[in-house]
Amino acid sequence: MMPTVSPVLRPSYLPPVELHRPNDLGELFACVAAGACPLAGGTDLVVWASQRGEPRQLAWTGGIDEWHIVDISGQQVRIGAAVPLSRIARSGELRSLISAVIEGASVVGSVQLRNQATLVGNVCTASPGGDTLPGLYVHDAMVDVVNAAGSRRSIKISEFICAPGKTNLAPGELVAGVTVRGLGPLEGSAFCRFTQRNALDLALASVAARVRFESDEQTVAQASIALGAVGPTVLDAGQAAALLVGRTLEPTQLRECANLAAECCQPITDHRASADYRRQLVRALTEEIVLAAAKQVTAGCASVEAS
Amino acid sequence: MKTQLTLRVNGAPRDVPLSFVGRRLLDTLRLELGLMGVKEGCGEGDCGACTVLIDGEPMCSCLLLTGVVEKCEITTIEGLPAAFLTRFSAICAEYGAVQCGYCTPGIAVMAAWLHAGGTELGDQPISKLFAGNLCRCTGYQQIIEALTALR
Ligand SMILES: Cc1cc2nc3c(=O)[nH]c(=O)nc-3n(C[C@H](O)[C@H](O)[C@H](O)COP(=O)(O)OP(=O)(O)OC[C@H]3O[C@@H](n4cnc5c(N)ncnc54)[C@H](O)[C@@H]3O)c2cc1C
Ligand code: FES
Ligand code: FES
Repeated sequence: MMPTVSPVLRPSYLPPVELHRPNDLGELFACVAAGACPLAGGTDLVVWASQRGEPRQLAWTGGIDEWHIVDISGQQVRIGAAVPLSRIARSGELRSLISAVIEGASVVGSVQLRNQATLVGNVCTASPGGDTLPGLYVHDAMVDVVNAAGSRRSIKISEFICAPGKTNLAPGELVAGVTVRGLGPLEGSAFCRFTQRNALDLALASVAARVRFESDEQTVAQASIALGAVGPTVLDAGQAAALLVGRTLEPTQLRECANLAAECCQPITDHRASADYRRQLVRALTEEIVLAAAKQVTAGCASVEAS
Repeated sequence: MKTQLTLRVNGAPRDVPLSFVGRRLLDTLRLELGLMGVKEGCGEGDCGACTVLIDGEPMCSCLLLTGVVEKCEITTIEGLPAAFLTRFSAICAEYGAVQCGYCTPGIAVMAAWLHAGGTELGDQPISKLFAGNLCRCTGYQQIIEALTALR
């Protein structure tokens, strides 16, 4: 028997919103032109709408079939705007091809959250602590932007995200997906974040690294490092990574690189941690994660977790 | 003109007014369909008390808009097989894994997913898979022991 509904229930946190469910891109652009905000998994947007009462008009992107596609062709991976994090985090193939991105995707929220939240939503939220972002930076992610007229532009993620919570998406533009450059031979990548809790917590600092070796598997041919949660946007620690090139990963080289990464970040002091503490985290995580990326070349798949 | 939205809830079609399209699934299940097993803790995706299965995968019904899951199979604790629930409650009692019980429906839904073979890559430990289910009173040790026995 169905229980009867009690009349003393607390009202919903979320004021009723107008939800559009377009089935093709034309309809979606029409909704957006009429003022609707694009809704992917809603794990950011529904929280904002509950807390601030805004936005009140949403257009769900899940009805666009082509945005559900994950396409792997050679070293390139393209992930559509409606693909949830769990789908990529559960793919063994992607784990070895874009390890740093997948390690980031695997720590977002919880099992429940990862089933809802999308990679593109994480990119568009543009939080300096977005966990997939450092991995996307070292995997040279290009954000595919489309407009109602059908024209497309492809923007480097470091240019797409311009300030905390800000992207350079123009009014009427949408993100169709993200394209990343996967690992080639003699290459590895890894990501790690430091949080006070293991799950459902924001990173105090996070680091992604990508390393390619010469054929001797010892001399670094190319390296990149990206730092999360320690600046207004994810930071490219290119100078620190450059210190590794042409050298082997001896403790002194690693230390030098990690010190420079800690110097070039711009952490803040807040109620969760001091700027100095965050710098020390960057130093420790950088050493650890460069080694984890390197280990992927020498010993198969890397996976590191800190807390 | 369509005036009703037809959802598939716990294996049966259920009509709700079209005005629920833009309401949270949590509100539709509780307020309109009277499925009080779906609990609201935080309303922000943190606690997992509102967990339901959408096509077999756990999600937070406080962050889902109803219209988004129109074509999906929605399962709440009320729709879990009786045999599973009997076993789940016996194991919870045995390990002392329930106190006030507010978090329990969400954990039961997650347990049903786990029981059906749900996991993430690399065979994650239960503590990690259940990180999105908060409990204020029992103590996680007992809950994890109960879930380990169930698995
Ligand atoms: C409890 C909880 C824990 C969380 N933990 C983490 C965490 O550990 N790490 C982390 O990084 N994040 C975390 N988040 C934040 C959030 O889950 C992620 O940012 C998520 O990836 C957002 O994806 P979504 O699909 O839910 O986006 P939505 O909420 O649907 O959208 C986010 C933004 O992107 C825009 N958008 C979506 N699709 C498009 C498109 N195609 N074109 C243009 N704009 C678009 C939306 O308009 C909105 O501004 C957490 C959130 C919650 C509620
Ligand atoms: S009420 Fe949905 S996660 Fe807390
Ligand atoms: S038993 Fe009280 S919240 Fe878990």
